[in-house]
Parts: sequence; C-alpha cells; structure tokens
Amino acid sequence: MTRKSITNVSQARVWRGTMPVQYLYTAGVAGERFFQTLRRKGVFAVTTCAECQVTYLPPRLYCERCFADLSGAWAEVAPSGRVHTYTVVHEDQDGRPLDPPQVVAFVRIDGTSGGLIGRLLHLRPQDVQVEMPVDAVLAPPRRRRGGMDDITGFAPRRVLPRRRTP
Amino acid sequence: MSLIKRKPQRRVAVIGAGLSLFMRRALDTGKELAYYAASQALQTAGIRLKDIQAVVMATAPDAFDGVHMKGEWLLDGAGGVGKPYLRAYVGGGSGVFSIISGWMMVASGLFDLVLVVAEEKMSSCQPHPQGAFLTIFDHTIERPLGPNLLWIFSLEQQRYMAAYGIRNEDIALVSVKNKHNALAHPAAQVAAHLTVKDILDSDVVAWPVHRLMVSPISDGAAAVVLASEQVARRLSDRPIWIQGVGWCLDTSYWGNRDLAYPRYVEKAAWMAYEMAGVTEPRKQIHVAEPYDPFAYKELHHLEGLQLADRGQAPEDLARGRFDRTGELPSCPSGGLMGVGNPIAAAGLMKICELFWQLRREAGARQVPGNPERGVAQAWGDLMQIGTVAVLGVR
Ligand SMILES: [Zn+2]
Repeated sequence: MTRKSITNVSQARVWRGTMPVQYLYTAGVAGERFFQTLRRKGVFAVTTCAECQVTYLPPRLYCERCFADLSGAWAEVAPSGRVHTYTVVHEDQDGRPLDPPQVVAFVRIDGTSGGLIGRLLHLRPQDVQVEMPVDAVLAPPRRRRGGMDDITGFAPRRVLPRRRTP
Repeated sequence: MSLIKRKPQRRVAVIGAGLSLFMRRALDTGKELAYYAASQALQTAGIRLKDIQAVVMATAPDAFDGVHMKGEWLLDGAGGVGKPYLRAYVGGGSGVFSIISGWMMVASGLFDLVLVVAEEKMSSCQPHPQGAFLTIFDHTIERPLGPNLLWIFSLEQQRYMAAYGIRNEDIALVSVKNKHNALAHPAAQVAAHLTVKDILDSDVVAWPVHRLMVSPISDGAAAVVLASEQVARRLSDRPIWIQGVGWCLDTSYWGNRDLAYPRYVEKAAWMAYEMAGVTEPRKQIHVAEPYDPFAYKELHHLEGLQLADRGQAPEDLARGRFDRTGELPSCPSGGLMGVGNPIAAAGLMKICELFWQLRREAGARQVPGNPERGVAQAWGDLMQIGTVAVLGVR
C-alpha cells in the first residue's frame, strides 16, 4: 500500500478555469400550476394518489410509487405546517461566515406527505423547536411573481389558528 | 419477501488492492492518482495490465475535478485504454457501487479478471467543493433559497437527534474514534488524538454540525482486482470473496424521506445479506466499514445495516462496542473522518480495508480475533442511495 511516492504537495502550481454555461429552467406542468395557485390564492396546490394514500408537495404529475396519472387529482392546502427539523447555518456555500447565522427549517405541510425548506422568521435560533407549528409568510399578493420568492419564509403560528383550506 | 431472484452461481473474489495517499491537494492529477492505486492493486494480485479483461472506474460528480465527462478523461489512469470500460456512478455511493459493477461483469461470466478503480480530486473545485452541489437541488423549488449540502445534513442530523433524544456529545464520539483509528493508517489525511470537547469546540458550520464532525476535502484513489473463482484460486492463496451485494435508491425528494432512519440502506443491506446467507448480521458480521462523511452518518448507517437498534448506535458507541477492539469494530480504517474523503475513492478504500482485515494484513489496524466476514457500505446520489457489499474469507 502507498508504495509509490507522491510528490511534494506544497509545490503544486495551479491553473484557473471555469465551466461557463447558463441555463433556462421551466417549472414543469405541475410546478407551473403550483406557482400560479400560490400567486393568485396564497395556498399550496398538491396532488394525491388515492391508491397509495400519498399527497405530493411539491405536487407531481404522476405517482412515483405506482405511476398513476395525477393530472386530475389536484387539491389545495393552507400554507401551514410543523417544523420537522431545522439547522442554524453559520457559513455560506463558499465557506464564508454568515453574520447573523440563518435559521433554516424543513417544514412538513399539514394535510400532505411532503414539505418545503425555508427560512424561519420572527424568532431567535434558541426558540426554535422541532414540531412547532408555523405558517408561511407570503409576499403581498401584488408583489408575487409565481416563484419560490413568493414565500418569504415560515413564522411561528399566531395564537388563533387560521382557517384551514380556503 | 425475497429481494433477489436467485443467488448468482459464479463466485467472485478480490485478489489485490491498492491505495494512494489521501491528501488536501495533490500535485498528481486524477489520472496519476488512479494509476498509483491501480498499479498497486495489479502488483499485489501478481498480474499485469494485459491480463485485465475489463475496467470499472468510479468517480463522483464531474464538477469536483472540473472536467466534464471525467470518466472518459480518466480512462488511461484507470488502465482502460483498448478495453471494455464502464464508469460506475451513483454519487457518493460510487466507491462501493464500483465493485458491485465489477462483480456483475465477473458473476455474469463475461470476464475472469476485472480491474476496479475509484478516483476523486476535490481540491480543484474553488472556492469550496460545496459549490459543486448547489445545482443538485431542484431548480425551481429549492435552489432559489440557496441551499447547500451542509444544510441538508444538519437537518438530517437534527431530526435523528430529535427522534431518539441523542446528544451532540454522543455523535462527536464518532469523530474521536475514527480520527484515532486513522493514526494507524499510512494513507491518512486527518488522523488525530482528539477529545469530544475538541470536536465540540470546533466552529459550528451549520448547527448541530461542527467543523470536526465533517470529513475533509481530499484527493486520492483506490483500486481492487476482481477474479472469477477458478482464476482467483490459481492466482491467490487468500482470495477474499464477494459474498453479497445490494443497492437501493429512495425517492429523490429528500423531504419525502424518513430523515431519522435510512430505509434504503436497510433494503440494500438485506439484499446483500440474503445473497451472502447472512440471517443474523450482528452475529455473522465481524468487521464493518459504514460510510462516515459526517459523524452522525456512521451511526445512521450502522442502524440501517441492522448492526444496531434504531437510535441505539450512539449508546453502543459510547460503551466501546464499535472500537477496533470492541465487539463489532466499525471503521477500523479510520473512515472518511480520519483517512479522508476523496468521494468515490473513499468508498473503495473501505473495500480495501475489508480485504486487508480479512487477510489479516492490516498491521497496526488489525482487528483482533479471526474476522471471517465484513460489510462495507457507501451512500450518496441525492442523499438517497445505499450501496452494500459483504466480503468473507469463504
Ligand atoms: Zn400511487
């Protein structure tokens, strides 16, 4: 093992390079409906496979378990859920410190089998608890553009719970 | 329910292994690293490149080395020129998947001698290889938030801790054990004597994950030679048999997975165990090399591999069950946390370790007793695959 010598690493000169490509992505058929519903009504569009008893969020056009066509199996749910898990991010993707650290959670959305990640707003990192109820904080209707930016984040639910599915 | 149709009839053995040093930035190119490991594997098997009938190369995302279609680019370093050549690729799971792919080539009867090589040169990727992962997330739903891999692992570790009431101290012990084990590994990059306090005093990257609970950025390569039974018996007096292989992918939507328990690892493990005739893994597995890119992952994976009860691996670790001299040595190599993590090469390093341990050639790292069977496992793709191989002396 490791018989052949490997040379002095401190003398490794380097060359710079990039892989310069850009992309234009579509949201997909199901994704487009999700975002248009979010923009117009402020709720989440989901699809359900009755046979597998799975409600997909993000919504999918087909059931990944049985391959059923879900293009006619749409429903809408309130943008509320529970903190399934969370993290406090102290550095950015390039390894630079983030000040202040950001609280990011994976929120399981009520009435679905899935959820979304998002920033946790209006609370201190030490006050976050797993399973705490949260509501999505959405951009004002006129400023929504039909993208993920329409969801500013999630915040602890108010004392009086909102009405469920409009 | 049976996970395999029938047990393959043609047996396959590992007859040679090789490893480069794992290091932060090698002057050596990925091809050169692959060549070091591959030529050593051939040498220990007592054969030459002309004897090899086909080559498998495992290497993780192109973005690490910064060479698009790097499988093809690495061809010559892997010894694949003029031969049937296959890039085995399932992200971080590629290292163990590489011998699964080589096993298929030999078990099928197509070839008698196959060279399996794994390489990664992560140091090329600037400013940090994390950047290469920004584009693995869904472009519409997730990427606008700017998530990186550390977020996802931290979220998973936090869920694991919340589900079973595990403390961060319990998880930090994995770093202590593996970095200590790696002191006896001549290829190790980040071996050290550290305490739980040292681990928890290191910077928080994304709470609850601290710097010393994350494996390093590494360059390196590993290789093994696979042979059919007849050829293995002719070339080697101590072939190590691939008794079972398994792999399984969970949904690509990480939000739909069970974050506290890796079901896909369990399924992959049972597939491999069934093929190997293992019905009681805790009694029949004598040494384990589960995938440990993050400290909690070794514990997660030991549970998925059925080598610990759910949520109990931290307690087993604390009482020394997984020490090199414990009841079930886990990561006696030093793992990714100690030896280093050149992604695909790290997975194949675990196979090399089982080869040396089962032949009792592991020197200062040798586990006591007469280990007869071991399991190695890797994990990756979009944090959704388990790749498992069971190796044994019979
Ligand atoms: Zn279905």
